[in-house]
Amino acid sequence: MNEFVVALGWFGLYAPVALGAIGSAWGCALGGSAAIGAMLDSDGGYGRFIGVSLMPSSQVIYGIVIMFSLQQSSVDAANGAALFGIGVLSGFTMLFTGIRQGEVLASAIHASKAKPEIFGISLAPAAVLEGFSVFALVFALVLAGSIPS
Amino acid sequence: MPSRSHQYIALVASLPHLGKLFSRKEVPISEYRLKQRLAMLEPAHTRLLREIVEVTAWAGVARYDQDLDVIRHATAVIADLKDYPDLQELVASRMETRTLIAALRRRKDGQEAAGDIQSWGFGRWCAQIRSNWSDPGFGLGHFMPWVAEAHRQLLADDHIAMERLSLTQVFDQLDQVGARHEFDFEAVAIYVLRWVIVERWSRYDQSEARVRLESLLHAALEGPDATGPDADPDYPEDTSLPLEGAFS
Repeated sequence: MNEFVVALGWFGLYAPVALGAIGSAWGCALGGSAAIGAMLDSDGGYGRFIGVSLMPSSQVIYGIVIMFSLQQSSVDAANGAALFGIGVLSGFTMLFTGIRQGEVLASAIHASKAKPEIFGISLAPAAVLEGFSVFALVFALVLAGSIPS
Repeated sequence: MPSRSHQYIALVASLPHLGKLFSRKEVPISEYRLKQRLAMLEPAHTRLLREIVEVTAWAGVARYDQDLDVIRHATAVIADLKDYPDLQELVASRMETRTLIAALRRRKDGQEAAGDIQSWGFGRWCAQIRSNWSDPGFGLGHFMPWVAEAHRQLLADDHIAMERLSLTQVFDQLDQVGARHEFDFEAVAIYVLRWVIVERWSRYDQSEARVRLESLLHAALEGPDATGPDADPDYPEDTSLPLEGAFS
């Protein structure tokens, strides 16, 4: 049983990075596809399209920060379950927000191409999703401080 | 989500906004450029899009001599679109709009009853049209007020206003279905159908169009059929299929 909990602990330790990377990759691909399409139909402003399409990159960075905060001198039966719970749940948050952020960014890029004046405000949903990722990051850090080492 | 979705996101994002109907004098993307962009479509989708355009655009329908052939073709296309119910709905709605306009024109031409409507009509309203032949809106006025309005314009021989009305109706259908799709094949198909209408309208010269439309109508009403070419809102200035060659 102890070995199983230790395995779960390691799983949870790396989950924020792995799931965050998947979320970022997926989100950037969605946003990037829209940015590439928009560049075909625009005579300028390419930088801003590409710039916003990279917004979902932050999820993997948050995942790395969470991993370091969860890192212990040793993973054992005392801390394995906590590492698993915090790591996996925060990882799934990064995965989900990364994908959804990519989708709303693709919509924002597409819409602002037709109506450039809404470019800024169209990024608001993506910013809100970023906020949810930050919530998951901050509270993962808070809880990581109370894990028995 | 399959990688194909990313390809369609890029395709849809590369297509310029068409704007509202009648708001532009020129299409925002040329036929040549649009063909280039449509090269991003999957081969199966290219074939389906060609079928949809053939059955909805005037030039595609004009190739048939009989209304029954048009109806058979539309039925086959709808069956082919089994994986895309919204596109099935669009093609069916377009055929139903044609049927209503054909009925209006037949009635104006002096036909006293709908007759064998199954041979020239399509869709849900055939029975309604047959049983309400003398009603200006075929008994559909309460939820399709544009039919009675089209009837008034037809009686006043204001063909251009009627074309605008029927095109607006078709555009509204496309907008309604388009609201449910953003980055998929349906979104591309709806964009192309809207583009075909905008492109046709952009080539209109109002005065020339009036003369040409009236001559077309006289010629068509002399013949036995009215559902197909003469009933279609986007009547042509030429008979080449829109985007011909884009789907080869």
